[in-house]
Amino acid sequence: MNTIPELLSETVAKHKNRIAIVEEGKKVSYLELQSMVNSLSSYLTSLGVKPGDRVAILLPNSIEFIAGFFSTVNIGAISVPINPSYGEEEIRFYISHSMAKLILTEERLSKTVDKLKGPESKVVVVKGGERGLFIFEEEKKNSLRVSINPHDEAIYLYSTGSTGKPKRVSRTHLNIIALANNHTETIGWSEEDRILLSIPMSHTYGFGNFISAIKAGACIYTVEGFNRRKIFDLIERERITVFPAVPFMLEALANTPFPRPIDFSSLKFVISAGAPLSKETFERFFKRFQIPPRQLYGSTETGVIAINLSKDIENRFSSVGQPVKNVEVKIFREDGSQADIGEIGEIAVKSPSMTTGYHDLPEETQRSFRNGYYFTGDLGKIDEDGYIYIVGRKKLFINISGNKVDPQEVENVISRHPKVREVAVVGIRERDEKEAVKAVIVPKEKIEAGEIYEFCRGKISDFKIPRIIEFREKLPKSPTGKVLREKLR
Amino acid sequence: MKEDIRERVKRVLREKFTDSTKQLEIKDDTPLFGIGVGVDSVATLEFVIALENEFQISIDEGEIKPQILATVDTISEFIATHFLKK
Repeated sequence: MNTIPELLSETVAKHKNRIAIVEEGKKVSYLELQSMVNSLSSYLTSLGVKPGDRVAILLPNSIEFIAGFFSTVNIGAISVPINPSYGEEEIRFYISHSMAKLILTEERLSKTVDKLKGPESKVVVVKGGERGLFIFEEEKKNSLRVSINPHDEAIYLYSTGSTGKPKRVSRTHLNIIALANNHTETIGWSEEDRILLSIPMSHTYGFGNFISAIKAGACIYTVEGFNRRKIFDLIERERITVFPAVPFMLEALANTPFPRPIDFSSLKFVISAGAPLSKETFERFFKRFQIPPRQLYGSTETGVIAINLSKDIENRFSSVGQPVKNVEVKIFREDGSQADIGEIGEIAVKSPSMTTGYHDLPEETQRSFRNGYYFTGDLGKIDEDGYIYIVGRKKLFINISGNKVDPQEVENVISRHPKVREVAVVGIRERDEKEAVKAVIVPKEKIEAGEIYEFCRGKISDFKIPRIIEFREKLPKSPTGKVLREKLR
Repeated sequence: MKEDIRERVKRVLREKFTDSTKQLEIKDDTPLFGIGVGVDSVATLEFVIALENEFQISIDEGEIKPQILATVDTISEFIATHFLKK
């Protein structure tokens, strides 16, 4: 098994009558999923999608997202998952940058997409509206036979950096197969598992869990967005066994008042990734639900890197764990030499599931990909038992509850406001150690913070809009004119 | 009753948004977007949970619209109308 269509076919052959996806009570078996994929693949081919073409998947977590992804790669095209909660300018960027020939989306977004796409891109509504995904069954033709090389590109995801624009990361079929194998073999998922996916599948963390669940023949419960009581209800009623989350979600669940005790006894794994898990959140969640959150470490460039499966989790909760199977992690000093045990340096990863570089960014690629390793930009250490600890980062981005924000991207938007002379965006730590986006603005004339919020709204995702806005007469700068960001916090 | 709700909402705001409220006197009609409430879904949910704990009520985050979180007045009205007897 070296390609993604083969991964799905193998699971279907083993578990055809098992339920693959549950969404709001709708259930789809693996056999039905395969049928949907064949049908939609035929339809995409009839619309002229060819191997190597890019197909954007602008959908929330849903049956249609999963069917759309497999249909795209089934015909040798490259899938480009895009989070539908992004702002219009962000969506326009992803569609344009990936050169998407076709966009799979939902009814409520179709008008927006029509406005944002280029004249040559087609839009196909597969969710909502009169024409849902299931109708494509009518157009099913003979099963497709497309030759796919394991080294062909399968998916583009975008990585947040400090360059003002997201960086395109391409992964091949073989990369994704390796990701699913490494993940499932390390954690030990099986067809008996029921995985609740509220984290977006359009990002690397959600995508890694989704593809691994399919590989295991498990059942995926898709949820659009994060609603605490829906999560409580699903875990309890559907006896969910795996719940991947970000620390903010765990904290929200632990702090939510509920009139009776919640039964989380079915859960085998509560996974925390995307942002550091604080001691307070770990303890609160563990105390209330009697299941310890376990940290997972991954990146868009590599997929899953490590997971904390320690039996002594109470004393080791702060570690992101040991590398998953077939993945190597080393710590390097500034001079390029390898750090000793317990010594802090930059975390570097070698993995069969990692990309080889960023599209059209040779300097960034050269800086981050060296000697077969991806240099993550995270600072960390490894203890004598091989457990990895992240202690900081070198890159200039802000982490908002697991969402990465490039300050320059926000500056680019705010600086276009006619009343703004200059702007600098930084991350500040609030009382509970979480980060928030702060903008320091030098105005040309009198302006209210509300005008900045309104200007940003819809252009960029809501979590990128500065929570705190400060007006100053000038920005602190070095003699060379560089903004001294540390003086803005 | 309403005055009591307003004061409790203000206390939650001061506790939850310390950094942005420390320099600011929060009045009943102060626009809360200006101090970070409701700017993003994370801030909104943090605030909603704090209100739930303060008033021992249950708010569905899906029902929270920006206009409800506009000012201390609008939040207090929402709480009074939906959860507490006037």
